[in-house]
Amino acid sequence: MSNSPHVPMIPTGQKSSWDAVINNRIFDDLNIESNAILLDVLRDSVGMLGVKRGCDLGTCGCCTVLIDGVPKLSCLTLAAETKGKQITTVEGLANGSHLHPIQKTFTECGGSQCGFCTPGFLVVISALLNENSNPNDREIKDAIEGNLCRCTGYQQIVDSVHAAAEILNSNQSVKDNTCAQVDPHPGIDRTTE
Amino acid sequence: MSKDKEIKGYRQQPGKIPFAKPGSGGREPFSKLRDLEMIPKSEGGYRAQPKGKNRHDHLLTGSTIGRRTPLVDSNWKVTGQAKYGDDIRLPNELIGRILRSPHHYARIRSIDTSEAESIKGVLAVETGQKHTDLFGVLPVTKDEHAMAVDKVRHVGDLVACVAAENESVALEALRKIKVDYEVLNPIIDMKKSLKDVEEPIHNRGKYHIGRSNVQKRVFQEFGNFESVKNPYVSSKSKWKYAGVNHGFTEPHAVVADWEPSGRLTLYTPQQVPHYVHRSLADVLKIPMHQINVHRTFVGGGFGGKSDPFPHEMCAAILARKTGRPVRITFDRDEVFYTNRGRHPSHIEMNLHADKEGRICGIETDALIDGGGFASFGHVTTYYNGVLHTAPYEIGSFHYTGARVWTNKPASGAMRGHGAVNSRCAVELGIDDICEQLEVDPITFRLANLLPPHSSTITGFRITSIGMRDCLEKVREACDWEQKFRKLPFGHGIGIGCGFFISGSGLPIHWDPNKFPHATVHLKIDMDGGVTIHTGAADIGQGSDTVVAQSVSEVLGLPIEMIRVKSRDSDTSPVDLGSYSSRVTFMNANAAISAAIKIRDELIKATADICNVEEKSLVIGDRRIYQKKDPAVGVSYLEALHKAQEERGALISSGAYRTPPMGGVHKGAAAGLAPAYSFSAYAAEVKVDAETGITEVVKVWAAHDCGRALNPLSVEGQIIGSCHMGLGQVLTEEMRYTKKGNLLNPNLLEYKIPTIHEMPEVVPIIVESNDPEGPFGAKEAGEGPLLPILPAVCNAVYDAIGIRTNELPITPDKLYKLIEKKVRSLKLDSPLNLPNPKLNYSKLQNTLEDRADNHKVRDQDRKLDPKREPYYNGTIFGKVSTIPPEEQDERWTLSVTPSEEYLANPRLAGSAWKHVEVRHMKRGDET
Amino acid sequence: MKSPPFKLFQPTSIDEAIEISKKFVQEQEDFDWIAGGTDLLPNYKWHLNTKPNVISLASIEELHRLDSEHIGAMVRLHDLAKSEFAHPIIRKAASSIASVLIRQSGTVGGNIALDTRCFWFNQAEEWRRSIEWCHKCDCGTSADCRVIPNQNELCVATYQADLAPSLLVLNAKIHLCGPEGSRTLFLSEFFELDGIKRNVLKQGEIITHLTLDNDISSWSGDYQKLSLRKSWDFPEAGVAVAWRLSDESNNENFELRIATTALESVPRLHQKLTSDALKNNSTIDEIASKLKKDVKPVNNTTFPPNYRKKMVEVLCKKALGGLKGVL
Repeated sequence: MSNSPHVPMIPTGQKSSWDAVINNRIFDDLNIESNAILLDVLRDSVGMLGVKRGCDLGTCGCCTVLIDGVPKLSCLTLAAETKGKQITTVEGLANGSHLHPIQKTFTECGGSQCGFCTPGFLVVISALLNENSNPNDREIKDAIEGNLCRCTGYQQIVDSVHAAAEILNSNQSVKDNTCAQVDPHPGIDRTTE
Repeated sequence: MSKDKEIKGYRQQPGKIPFAKPGSGGREPFSKLRDLEMIPKSEGGYRAQPKGKNRHDHLLTGSTIGRRTPLVDSNWKVTGQAKYGDDIRLPNELIGRILRSPHHYARIRSIDTSEAESIKGVLAVETGQKHTDLFGVLPVTKDEHAMAVDKVRHVGDLVACVAAENESVALEALRKIKVDYEVLNPIIDMKKSLKDVEEPIHNRGKYHIGRSNVQKRVFQEFGNFESVKNPYVSSKSKWKYAGVNHGFTEPHAVVADWEPSGRLTLYTPQQVPHYVHRSLADVLKIPMHQINVHRTFVGGGFGGKSDPFPHEMCAAILARKTGRPVRITFDRDEVFYTNRGRHPSHIEMNLHADKEGRICGIETDALIDGGGFASFGHVTTYYNGVLHTAPYEIGSFHYTGARVWTNKPASGAMRGHGAVNSRCAVELGIDDICEQLEVDPITFRLANLLPPHSSTITGFRITSIGMRDCLEKVREACDWEQKFRKLPFGHGIGIGCGFFISGSGLPIHWDPNKFPHATVHLKIDMDGGVTIHTGAADIGQGSDTVVAQSVSEVLGLPIEMIRVKSRDSDTSPVDLGSYSSRVTFMNANAAISAAIKIRDELIKATADICNVEEKSLVIGDRRIYQKKDPAVGVSYLEALHKAQEERGALISSGAYRTPPMGGVHKGAAAGLAPAYSFSAYAAEVKVDAETGITEVVKVWAAHDCGRALNPLSVEGQIIGSCHMGLGQVLTEEMRYTKKGNLLNPNLLEYKIPTIHEMPEVVPIIVESNDPEGPFGAKEAGEGPLLPILPAVCNAVYDAIGIRTNELPITPDKLYKLIEKKVRSLKLDSPLNLPNPKLNYSKLQNTLEDRADNHKVRDQDRKLDPKREPYYNGTIFGKVSTIPPEEQDERWTLSVTPSEEYLANPRLAGSAWKHVEVRHMKRGDET
Repeated sequence: MKSPPFKLFQPTSIDEAIEISKKFVQEQEDFDWIAGGTDLLPNYKWHLNTKPNVISLASIEELHRLDSEHIGAMVRLHDLAKSEFAHPIIRKAASSIASVLIRQSGTVGGNIALDTRCFWFNQAEEWRRSIEWCHKCDCGTSADCRVIPNQNELCVATYQADLAPSLLVLNAKIHLCGPEGSRTLFLSEFFELDGIKRNVLKQGEIITHLTLDNDISSWSGDYQKLSLRKSWDFPEAGVAVAWRLSDESNNENFELRIATTALESVPRLHQKLTSDALKNNSTIDEIASKLKKDVKPVNNTTFPPNYRKKMVEVLCKKALGGLKGVL
């Protein structure tokens, strides 16, 4: 049997400082190894667990984040090259308790089933809607061709994008998620009688 | 809304001061009026539903059933807050990694872990030596270890595991484990597994079949085989199906944590937490009560997360040794080594029809490649046969099936478990037969369907059947008459049908007569919210939602007031989990029966408060009131508080078990289900004869789910099934080299269709209103996958006149067939291939008449409460009410092959040439 | 998945980059360049020929320039695909690469210098252990080539990049810069028929940019790609053609170029084939049939070589579709 060509995995221990603005929050006290991948840093050091690892090789899109507004595969991005940049993950799409329209329509149109690919789709679509508030089917498909979904067959995802575009173009906002829901002690509304 | 418009919920007794309203402050203070007579109309179907009455009709309150309901956990998913396996991060965690075998088949002589253990940051290295207890998903075929004990059985089989402070150290440690292997001769080709060898991959002791690698074999003969001897037309095909993987986006991950109490909590994305629970107890040798299995969010299952897995055992073993939580997350290639995907199969299918256009015989022989372990294979072997005995009435059914071990990753259960491949072969056979009979394939199918409330040839009890509706609706929607055999060359349309179980009749771990299949607990306290405890595993299909909907419907509450606790085995009742499409049928039924108990208490409390008869009360939107005078009644909360007097929180428990059914022959329970789903799809394709590239243009997909409790989810399941099925039929394949190396264990080379390959799918929901389903519902998760494969294959034939018998139909394979035909017809270009045409024979009219008659027959049977039994065989002139074997001595019912058959068996049938060790005469055993 | 540790260098100018590489060359220390990372990082995660040092080109502003005659090496493929400056053939080829997300990171230079691919090579370390390693990486183990067994002299890994053939037919020049200075050559001279060596880049040398003739707008053409899926997949065969008709009534000033990719270890400009074809007044079908015979794919990608070879003929016919009536 031939010798193993294995290269030792133990890091040298040298780390350099890293900072970024992630979801509008400044992270400036992190130290990373120079071979650190952005996906690993976001999940393991920053704690943005909404960024998902599906294949780790750029073929599923689950790990997509926005870097200065551009959707990129965080699994194929060296963390060191994003130093000082604006990074948006799925956790940064909602405005407080108000969901982004695409988040809302994903739930209403069935864009999300198991939900694992959802964060990647959402950031890609939010970037698309930012650029083009009324995309057609062709444009939607081209934008999400790098995202793999195994549950939905994509159709309800495309529906969700159209529905979100409608919300955006009507200038409505998504209502606060935390506001009171239903009262278990209702009276009778006589006005409808 | 001014205050004076609000009226008290009931005519208050004089002198009493009302309590404060603890539930107030909500957004919708007024109950919405509902016309209870109108409620059964569901959004799913075209027509008013349901057809006929259902036993749950009186429970409908118009709350959520039949409405497009967003998944109750979807806000977690869209905000990134859903915690999947790898998102469980406990303080002080260690990273676990697994050393895997580089050999297909080898004996482990020794393992030296000393160097690995000496690396700084390595806390534990474990091997299989100390953990020798077997486990497996089926109690009859436990054959897996946490890690290899004596032998490794495929490349990627587990050899050892490491827990370390970080991934880099763990990976380094793996390289330093020295394993001394004695390499054995691997078996890669499943045909070779049928033969006796020196060193079978497993040793099943007295149950071992000769010295072969046959893990399970099935023989079944039902019906009258006279007709098969001299059929009018036959279609014979030999199929090869590649193995496919579930391709869920979330790789397996697990976190094991031994709590200070000495109890283990295992966090795992599992479809079937209960089996892991049992297996952990076996392997760790601790009682089950000492384990809590926490199901995390599951990033796609499709059957691939329903086995208890060795890596789950490894995490627990490592955590126990180190005293710290251990997290193991797979790389994508490890997912492929774990596999449990659809079996690579060789299926030989002979279909026969008589002059009347009846299917007088189906002969199937299925050899399926199980890989290194048993997994669900015992069941798969049966399913490859028995699940294509419906929806058609057939004259005879012969099936031989064998599942063999090979030195490859284990196959197992995958969406449409066991039914997909043989279904594809049957539906293509029917198309071929129709071509020979010169009849329309949809008419042919319509003229050969079993009626509602009938018995299949193998004794399955069919209750509701929406097959006819599916076919008719698809025919209309896709404009079949104008397209079939009429589209220009290169364009085609095809039809395919499906039939699938809605829950397995037999809970494999216990006696169904003693324990229920599913149990659901409800708890309601003063706040009015309803907590559901269920063990049903939500894997993204929306099981939490459907259970919540069922309770919300019965109690007249908005779904926001329902919360589902389904994660921890500590709090949820034992449940068989999410497989065999059982959750909606069984858990929703259990939830309804639990909710009925609460409902009765609320109604009684209201009757007490209002001093009216219980019978006169109905439940509407958050109110319980007199039907004839809705002003007389109380709010839900008031009734609840009244019911809580003297006792506190209301709790109830509901359960579901299947009714007694099915035959008594060996294997009769396999494929038995309390209800069955049906589907029919038409697919339109474009085939480029010059390149062999097939593009699916549009799919019309009708599925009979009994009743769409949540049409949004049903449509999602239909479209998603199409996507997955399209993958299997066009692009996906686990590719092995001749030596058995898996060439494509990654998502670049394992070709899941992208959005550009996905056609428009028109989902058509058919509601047949199952008499036993919850509100009439049946499954919609797996059955919808079946018809897409044959629909596409038949459409390819319609387009270019070429029938495939190998999946996936990748362009290179199709092009080979095209070239072959071009050569045989001596054409100069593939573009000159003949376009299939159809001229109806006289039989077409006969079949149309029969289909019309049967339509009336079916409708009558559906609505007649005093209907008589109907046994398969009636169409061949048997008396419908008596089992055919009782009226015809030539009607066979046999599960063992005859000497005559064994003299000349088919491929899988040759597995029966071996004698099981326990049946060998003394002295024969070597 | 984790790559072995490496030191990362992030120079901000070409000079600085060459300075660093020069030092490594002198000290005989191994290093790699990284551009977009979409090719290198998967290889590193699989432990394929990893190096202890990596020099990133991302921060070098001068490599990002894009106009009609100049394509910087660090221009993102997505920007190229959407660029109004780029020739339509280039735009078409660029937009067919992998997926939009890969194109957002991947660069022109990275695509030109894409590592060759092979079923037996592009696998995880554990996988390669199970076949006792492969000749293209893991050297020193004296592993055999698995595609053409019983030899470890020639690596036949396939060059599967989309951009090269369209640049070849547009007669692009490639500009390199290294410790020994700058040089310019035709792209057709850039590649070397060896799956390991791949191209003429010397140790420490980088691609800085590509230039195109100022008359390229007078060229028409097409790029046709064979792949199983329309996203993610590398080409299984790719044919680019470009032609120019100086005088439409007359064939004499007719120029034609054809290039292929994903069929061998290098992309190839089929110069002899086209000049013969023009000499003999060949028809489209004849040219396509000749092209089929001119390529020699091996069995190391998704589709079998036989099929890829046959499809070259079909792709070529489709690509030359615009010349119906002329040829």
